[in-house]
Amino acid sequence: MPLSDKLEQKKCVETVWGKLIPEKEAYKYATRQIASFCANVFQVMRILEPDFEKRTSAICDISYMMNMAASSEEYMNGFYDEWNIPEFCEKSSWLGAIFGDSGDEYENMAGRVIQFTRDRVEKELDTCPWDIVGAELCNMTTAMFTANFNLNSPTGENEVALNMCEARGCGDCHCRVVAERRDVFGQGEQGWMDHMNQPAMPVHNTPRERMVRDGQIIRNDYYSNAFGEEKSFEWAYRWCMEKGWVWCVAFPLIAIREMAESEEEFERIFKIVFATAGKNAFIEPFAVEGLRSWLGVPREIGDNDPRLMGGYIKNILDTQLVPNRLECFTKEEIRIQVDADTFNGRFPMAPVDEMTIGYEILWHNMVKTMVSPEWSCWFENKDTDEMMIVVARKIDKKMV
Amino acid sequence: MLFREDTAARMQHQAVRENAGWYRWTHDLVEVKGADSAAFLDRLFVNHIAKAAVGRSKYTTMLNEDGKIIDDTIVMHIGENHYWVSTLYAPQMIEWMKSHQNGEDVLYRDMTKEIDMYAVQGPNSLQVVNALLEKSADGLKRFQSEDNKIGDMKVKIHRSGFTGELGYEIYCRTEDTKAVCEAIRAEAKKFGASEVTVLEVYVRSLPVEKGFALRQDMYGLTPFECGLDWSVDLEKEFIGREALVKAKEDGPEYKLVGLEYLAESYEDIAQRETVYYRGVPCGFVRTAVYGYTVEKNIGFAVVEARRALNGTELTVGSNDSPAVVVDKCWL
Repeated sequence: MPLSDKLEQKKCVETVWGKLIPEKEAYKYATRQIASFCANVFQVMRILEPDFEKRTSAICDISYMMNMAASSEEYMNGFYDEWNIPEFCEKSSWLGAIFGDSGDEYENMAGRVIQFTRDRVEKELDTCPWDIVGAELCNMTTAMFTANFNLNSPTGENEVALNMCEARGCGDCHCRVVAERRDVFGQGEQGWMDHMNQPAMPVHNTPRERMVRDGQIIRNDYYSNAFGEEKSFEWAYRWCMEKGWVWCVAFPLIAIREMAESEEEFERIFKIVFATAGKNAFIEPFAVEGLRSWLGVPREIGDNDPRLMGGYIKNILDTQLVPNRLECFTKEEIRIQVDADTFNGRFPMAPVDEMTIGYEILWHNMVKTMVSPEWSCWFENKDTDEMMIVVARKIDKKMV
Repeated sequence: MLFREDTAARMQHQAVRENAGWYRWTHDLVEVKGADSAAFLDRLFVNHIAKAAVGRSKYTTMLNEDGKIIDDTIVMHIGENHYWVSTLYAPQMIEWMKSHQNGEDVLYRDMTKEIDMYAVQGPNSLQVVNALLEKSADGLKRFQSEDNKIGDMKVKIHRSGFTGELGYEIYCRTEDTKAVCEAIRAEAKKFGASEVTVLEVYVRSLPVEKGFALRQDMYGLTPFECGLDWSVDLEKEFIGREALVKAKEDGPEYKLVGLEYLAESYEDIAQRETVYYRGVPCGFVRTAVYGYTVEKNIGFAVVEARRALNGTELTVGSNDSPAVVVDKCWL
């Protein structure tokens, strides 16, 4: 047998030191990064509004309204065509379940549609990258689902009772959302805090030995819906990097800003939370060792070298599919150029200016423990297409 | 998903097997008219459409130039130079027709929104439809259709279905659909025939037990790889014929097979789950479902032809769910 002409080619993210991170690893990492940013944002919310029910209702309200506004008839008709939803499917509420299921799988929320009938839909998840955020987010997703269902209702009325009776963010083994047609199961209309109750009919609980760790796009390279239409891993990765920020960061931030007495108060608390998260990310010495292994950092790059931080930031941008260019990469200074519109507007229709503030503070404090307190990180030319992420030495006698 | 303990799904499934059941399932419909319609359809489809007399229907696949299945349809010969093509993908079929029309005198359009369809299926389905119809359907042969009436509403009754049981499809105008639905509901009740409301029962568990696959199960395979050799007439010209002749010479690369999943349940198996032979990927799942008549977790998979022999032991998915290759027809 003759030798192969060359090695087979697979897609990877290359670190600045040439280590190749397979695309599926990169996708999982990036998805968790979005969840982590979201978790920080929710900490801000908890400081601003101590009452669980008040803050949860506020983000439910806004996410419901935004989802209703974003998912126009034209958008949903596009979805039907794209997914080849056949005519025999009444355009009734339960089509919302197909919409929700596809979104779950694009975001590596691995699970299954347990039941899918005209009167009842049960969706179960075994994993969720957002399971670190907390119960407010789990509640909030029920508001988004409510919008999906209401949008698909032929009468525009709320037809279903929707209950997330288990949620991994609450410590349960599974996430489980059950939609039951109210007229069939005799249920009343629900308020935002009523969506975490038990459904009318018993659920099907997947045993641990049959649970899956990854979504279909990781396991099988495709997501396949009930009508046989498929989306590739590559498609889902990009979808997640665009829209993954919208529902869990952009939507709740609208409500969270309203919780603060002033813009200044919001930013002060926002920065404190992200600073704390940054400092804590590499406080354990073995965390830095893990990072070096992940990025393939050679031993020539010492402990007090800003290239460690620079390589980390570039890898974050690359795995999040944000175009960027290294302008300087020395042991004295790192400069990474990135378009501010792209950085903040992964989904151009819903830019998140807080991403600049959040990441600047996060990385500035992260470098203190990842490398050393001599180093700082800041962004220059913010709000321009020549925004520059800088890692360099800086003395600031009021460093906070 | 369907599970052994789902009593509602079991009841609806067995109603169709043992008595009768009914449901609304409107395929997309493409109407084809014109002097060259038979010749045009014969070129698009593998089966001999022109051989179907008025009032008769043909099952056929539609191939691309590589000889791979891109749709499967029932073509109903409605009248002289007049056909209805039943598909789940009318917009795609219209595009395909546009791009492959070579000056033939033919008109085609998506008429899905104008026609609704109800299926009455099961060994006692004839009694149910006869109670509904103005004229008896006793004489209808399989894949035969005729005009009829329910009350004063015009319908077309077609002896066909997707359950493997004796069954009838009732086509009506969209404006009559509510009245037709209520008429069926009332008569069905007298015969104890259930309305089938669980989508997976009429789309999957009933058809799969009888070996009926959806287009999505066969997409990208040749008819030979799906066991549809009987529908291929290589003596006539059709799109994909040349590639199909070569495929026949080369032998199948893959095969659509039946799989029996041996674990208690199959929650970890999605429609594209990877199939392994001794730990090495050899194909992918097309469907997994519980069959309430055979009392097994069953389905279809596309596997390498060399792993497609009955009795071959395979595993499926990340939890190594055991499965065995079997004939893809259980009843």
